[in-house]
Amino acid sequence: MSLIADEIVRFSSVLRISYNLLTGRDYLKRKKFREKKKLISIALPFSDLVYGFPNLVPTFPIRMHTFEMHKYLTYLGSASRIFGWKNVSNFLGIIKNLNIGDVNKIIDEIINDVIDAVNNKYNEMYELGIENGVPTDFCYGIKSLYGMHVSKGKNVEANLNYTIRCSAWNKYLESLKTIENPAKQIWIDIPPRNIGNALELLTENLYDGIRELEKISGNNYDRNILRNHFQVANEIRNYYKTILYDISTLGFYPCNPATFSEILVILNNSFQDYNSNAIRYRDNMASLVKEMKERIRNKIGMDVSKMPRILITPMFGGWEPKSHEIIYELGGRAFYADWDILLLLEEIPITKISDPVEAYAHYLMNATKNGIGCDNDTLTDSYLRLARNLRADGLVFIQVFGCHSISNCYAMLKDKLRRELEIPSIALNFNRIGENIEQVKTRLGAFMEMFN
Amino acid sequence: MDNLELLSDYSSFLREKKEEGKKIIGFISHDNIPEELFDAAGFIPLRLLFAGNDEFMDASHDYLPPSTCAFAQSCIGLFSLKPNQYEFLDLIDYFIVSNHCVSDICASEIISKRFDIPRLNFYIPYTNNENSIKYFKLELLELKKQLEEINGKEIKDENLKESIKKYNSFKRKLLDFSFLNISGSEKLKILQKAILYGPFFLPELESFFEQRSDNEIQTSFNSKEVLLTGGSIFINDPLIDLVEEGGGNITFFDSWIGNNYYSQIIANDILDSIKNPYDILVHRFKNNNFGDHSVPNFLENKILQLEKIYQDHLKKTGRKLGIINHIIKFCDHISLLSSHLKNRLQEKGIQVLNLERDYSRAIRGQLSTRIEAFLEMI
Ligand code: SF4
Ligand code: SF4
Repeated sequence: MSLIADEIVRFSSVLRISYNLLTGRDYLKRKKFREKKKLISIALPFSDLVYGFPNLVPTFPIRMHTFEMHKYLTYLGSASRIFGWKNVSNFLGIIKNLNIGDVNKIIDEIINDVIDAVNNKYNEMYELGIENGVPTDFCYGIKSLYGMHVSKGKNVEANLNYTIRCSAWNKYLESLKTIENPAKQIWIDIPPRNIGNALELLTENLYDGIRELEKISGNNYDRNILRNHFQVANEIRNYYKTILYDISTLGFYPCNPATFSEILVILNNSFQDYNSNAIRYRDNMASLVKEMKERIRNKIGMDVSKMPRILITPMFGGWEPKSHEIIYELGGRAFYADWDILLLLEEIPITKISDPVEAYAHYLMNATKNGIGCDNDTLTDSYLRLARNLRADGLVFIQVFGCHSISNCYAMLKDKLRRELEIPSIALNFNRIGENIEQVKTRLGAFMEMFN
Repeated sequence: MDNLELLSDYSSFLREKKEEGKKIIGFISHDNIPEELFDAAGFIPLRLLFAGNDEFMDASHDYLPPSTCAFAQSCIGLFSLKPNQYEFLDLIDYFIVSNHCVSDICASEIISKRFDIPRLNFYIPYTNNENSIKYFKLELLELKKQLEEINGKEIKDENLKESIKKYNSFKRKLLDFSFLNISGSEKLKILQKAILYGPFFLPELESFFEQRSDNEIQTSFNSKEVLLTGGSIFINDPLIDLVEEGGGNITFFDSWIGNNYYSQIIANDILDSIKNPYDILVHRFKNNNFGDHSVPNFLENKILQLEKIYQDHLKKTGRKLGIINHIIKFCDHISLLSSHLKNRLQEKGIQVLNLERDYSRAIRGQLSTRIEAFLEMI
């Protein structure tokens, strides 16, 4: 793991994003009890509407949990409040370079903990989901999300539910009502296709959702606040895309490829609710891009030009987090881009459409029609588009046990990849984090042979 | 009549229709698909309501992972293997890709793509509110357009209204039939055949009523009375035999082949008062409260419905109904909420068996044991 820890400490922005991800509970407690704000549970990157109300705080439910965080990260968090994160990161870098035995170990452990803490919590929530009635046949994501709500759902005022093409997902959202003292459910139906005046209907559905949020907030909807947030959200998307398109495609990385993948994992997780503070997240993304570019300019990092680029997807429904490290050890560089595949990193078109809600409807409809798609033909085209645009040399497809939607398209995808892109692919079965590492190693080993 | 005969007769029936110049539209059998529109356009709707077996399920694994619902797997397998008795599948001209659930989409898409059957899209919103209802109408009009393009002529409103009335009368008759006091297996056989043929079956259904004078109809069974909810018992599924061999009798079929189909009758005043026939279909969708497709009130509605049926039955007969919730393995809709459905009904003193299964032969012994144990408890 040290190969990743060595690198991440050089990015103060990554430390900040990770710290904010892991200390969500304290942050959210402060918001709820001291500042009297109300929490709204969201999942998938559907938090934007909530940001239209300054006294509502969106949260991806795992962030309400306490993570077993390394005590030094807590110290670092406190130190950062006094010295600033940049200085803390520089300081860590210096210690690292001096290679002082124990201190060095502590830094490795800190980063190790950030990554493992989230995964351990996921597994814990997965068990809780099953204990509370989710049949084992359902995907990892649904089981763990249900568990998260069982354990912390009482802290939120509402769940903001968007219907998507996955019927298991929609039923899961309904099932949240079975939890004791369930939070209010706000539903926003995304029409399956863009036919007739479907966009208008979606806009109205979003307005209905806003009216529900108004009731919780006690404040009236203000289009300027939402528009301003969408501007921030678009900047976040631009930074995210810069990392994916401009930096990840370079032959020289600002860090080793395993670290790079790790950063993409952290972004994938935190993008869903922007760690409950979009402006802070935007600023961290800005510094992340800046730090990466600076390092590349100064030739700090690693020449990766000879390493095959492997797209691992889908990972949001559950995947083995050791995969990218294994690929790195086998001579490749892995990257993750789920939100871009589903077109959720596209801009919300507020410059073209004056009503922000209508603009958001366009954004969601575009993702539904051209990204997620209402069938596997569209969805597999989305994978293809991304693999082509990001110049993937190979694709690792995660076949999540119990996923009847996204993971179901592999046979069709494999065919298209072979015919249209002529790149190899492999499907890895996934059930639960850590369950199958040896098998993953063997299969990836055989797969990576193809690039030698 | 055994199922081989049924399938062979059905095959001849479809062939005749083809010879008359009719086109056949296939779709996976759930609800909300407007078969009246197909009828009005002169097409023959063909519902895939055939159960699977090991071979069908295995044959689907080239296309979908084994953790796909056993019914969707089997629908693909049917096309892939196409055993003799199912050769009528070759007669299908178009296939509906719809989203009753995501497995329905995936399987329909594969059937259309891999077996070269042109597809027609029909997507159903997941919620059932004012705007979803408006969206449902958009889909209906879109489907109408697709059918008109194929036919090269308009579907007249009066033809659609006629078809709606025809299906309505057929469903009314089926509803009456559902109250007959005959054995579950006999009832199911007729229901399966009726829903397969649609209103073409009406004369046979009527003659069934005529043949059965009251004194011929059995009035009591010694078996334990059971309500089947969840997934349908499709044609060629031995599940009903297992229930009867275990000492049970299914008296109420609360599934797609059953109440879900024939309870969706449009009242006469609605038929008279709503002029636009598409609005009548929209009205039906709006009132489809007990179907498993919509969120977020499926569980609540289902519990209320089942409790009411149970209590009515208790009042009428003094006997308790056991409920078998039939879960086709990996079915998103029925499985996810099944433990909650069971717990909530059991809290009300209603016995529920969540019976999960796929179509493999190996599981039959286990199913029998579970059914017998459940029936003993009632
Ligand atoms: S798409 Fe698959 S992984 Fe995602 S929620 Fe649905 S079943 Fe789970
Ligand atoms: S998952 Fe359920 S609803 Fe969907 S096709 Fe299978 S049996 Fe039907």
